[in-house]
Amino acid sequence: MSEPQRQHPVAAITKALDIIRGNFITILILIFIGGGDQAVFTLYWILGTIVALLVWGVISWLRFSFQVEEGELRIEQGVLIRKKLYLTSDRIQVIDISAGIVQRLFGLVAVEVKTAGSSSKEAKISALTQSKAEELKEKLRHGQAPQAVQEAEDEEEKKFVKKYTLDTKDLLIAATTSGRMGVALSVVGAIFSQIDQLISEEQMYQLIETHIPRSTSLSLVIMSAIAILVVAWMLSFVSTIIAYYDFEVEVRDNELLIGRGLFERTQLTIPFNRIQAVQVKEELMRQPLGYVSLVIESAGYGDSQGNSATLFPLIKKGDMYTFLEEVIPEYNYTINDGYQRVPRRALRRYLLRMLWWTLPVILLAWGTVPYGYYAWLLLVPAMLLGYQQYRDAGIRNEDGTLVLSSRLLSKKTAIVKKYRTQATIIKQNPFQRRLNLHDFTVHVASGNQGRSFGVRDLADDTVYEFWQWMEVSEKVSTDPQKNNENGYMPPIEG
Amino acid sequence: MRSSPKSKLSKSAIKAWRVSTTLFMVVLILVPLLIWLFSFFGGDAFSPWLLLSITIILIIMAALCIFFIPEIRWRRWSYDIDQHEIDLQSGIFIITRTLVPIKRVQHVDTRQGPILRSYELADVTISTAATTHRIPALNEKTADEVRDQISKFARLAKEDV
Repeated sequence: MSEPQRQHPVAAITKALDIIRGNFITILILIFIGGGDQAVFTLYWILGTIVALLVWGVISWLRFSFQVEEGELRIEQGVLIRKKLYLTSDRIQVIDISAGIVQRLFGLVAVEVKTAGSSSKEAKISALTQSKAEELKEKLRHGQAPQAVQEAEDEEEKKFVKKYTLDTKDLLIAATTSGRMGVALSVVGAIFSQIDQLISEEQMYQLIETHIPRSTSLSLVIMSAIAILVVAWMLSFVSTIIAYYDFEVEVRDNELLIGRGLFERTQLTIPFNRIQAVQVKEELMRQPLGYVSLVIESAGYGDSQGNSATLFPLIKKGDMYTFLEEVIPEYNYTINDGYQRVPRRALRRYLLRMLWWTLPVILLAWGTVPYGYYAWLLLVPAMLLGYQQYRDAGIRNEDGTLVLSSRLLSKKTAIVKKYRTQATIIKQNPFQRRLNLHDFTVHVASGNQGRSFGVRDLADDTVYEFWQWMEVSEKVSTDPQKNNENGYMPPIEG
Repeated sequence: MRSSPKSKLSKSAIKAWRVSTTLFMVVLILVPLLIWLFSFFGGDAFSPWLLLSITIILIIMAALCIFFIPEIRWRRWSYDIDQHEIDLQSGIFIITRTLVPIKRVQHVDTRQGPILRSYELADVTISTAATTHRIPALNEKTADEVRDQISKFARLAKEDV
């Protein structure tokens, strides 16, 4: 692939669509301003915009070329401003092959190349045939060969390829109990709050009178609450099905291949040596059923969902350990026992925190919504949640691995390699000082922002012990070579 | 856990912080004053008592921030750097202690605004793949030394992300 190559011409269309997607609101405004009252004008305007975008797309397709040369991926692009992007292949962390609706129509794929710290969409080749994409990927991976060999030492067991899929039953359970409910709920809430601008109050009353006679305002409040919940649940159900349809994880020699999605198929490649941490999530609705989901934090991989990738969306807690043992054995640690728990004197801080969070909601509901005083009943689940947060918080270490357990709504257990931590932070406010408590947080690299895992209100002794452990761990490094290098260094005074 | 880190910030940090806080507070207090002027010349949107009380509260806050906070902040701040890790302690009410393994440092630089420059001070900023940390208001010379020191240690302990 030494000759500069063009993308498949379909890239012109995807480029136009990308611009539309990126400037959706601007375009809407333009259409409204440009069209005025006359529908014909609006039509011309829209057609004109589409033609202009397509022309732009074709030009940018013509100006886009890529090649692999001397182990580098070189991309040249830009219509007005010429951009040259050179990526050394051993800096490439993730190669993403995905297929959106447009690409699928033509049997093509998009290839996105990501490095640590770069979030730009510039290294995206948006239309290529499957075979060319594989060829490109092979070439780029080939450049990484020395590193791959080194990695293979840790991964002796991974010689044969293993594949795991999510069966239909589990997909349905995952969708039913999806934690996306919260997001969906706020969307539906926002829509509901706009309804009264569309329909006047009288129309609303009329509608209610004709369809549900003999309704009191209390039952109305309850019914609308239930309606919101049902719609939100349906949204989260559908979005989960779309996101995790045909989910599969393939374990290769030195990387994980994760594929998922109904309309837009995403395929992720995560090299094992890029994995920074593993999170076990026990969602509120899944915990009683004994299901967990697994999330990987990996450096340099940026996804719209907060820079972490789902390793497996739903798995029985019992099966999880076998799965981890076979896929990423170095992260297989029990998430239940051996924790240093939060001391009893911290309980009131956990309860008070929940009180401060729910109080504004309660007061708001009390003041504005009819029958809002029932909102005080929220205090009961809030306190129970606070107590459960207190029960679930814990920290432990086991041969070079830190396990942090905490709960906000869902219980999350983070498994972090000590040598992967970017920073350890402990905090103490004056109230905690009186009770001899500290918050403990570790940061790992993940995407561009990094991610932190923490436990609140641990006892001072526990915190000091783990702080020291984090410190000492650096001196007894896991890598003896690195240790030697350090040994030659002269002592310094800060 | 060993005791607090040993190295302190430059003593003139307090003065520099005082100057920058004062500038900020002056701007903040100008806002109610401008509204006052505005209502004096015709507008009558705000009650003068409300404005007066807001101004007084602002002035009290400004006094606290200018006279006490920099002193406390300086006393809390300390740091240590050796070939294995960077250890920072900071905070006014909430005390934060940060441990950064030196081999995780991606880059380190010194920064200096006009106020810091007039006191011959500079900030040292340390970036890892996930976080950014700042040692504020060191002597220019110390800041350069610290930067070079960290960079040297990081180079020696270098490892991939």
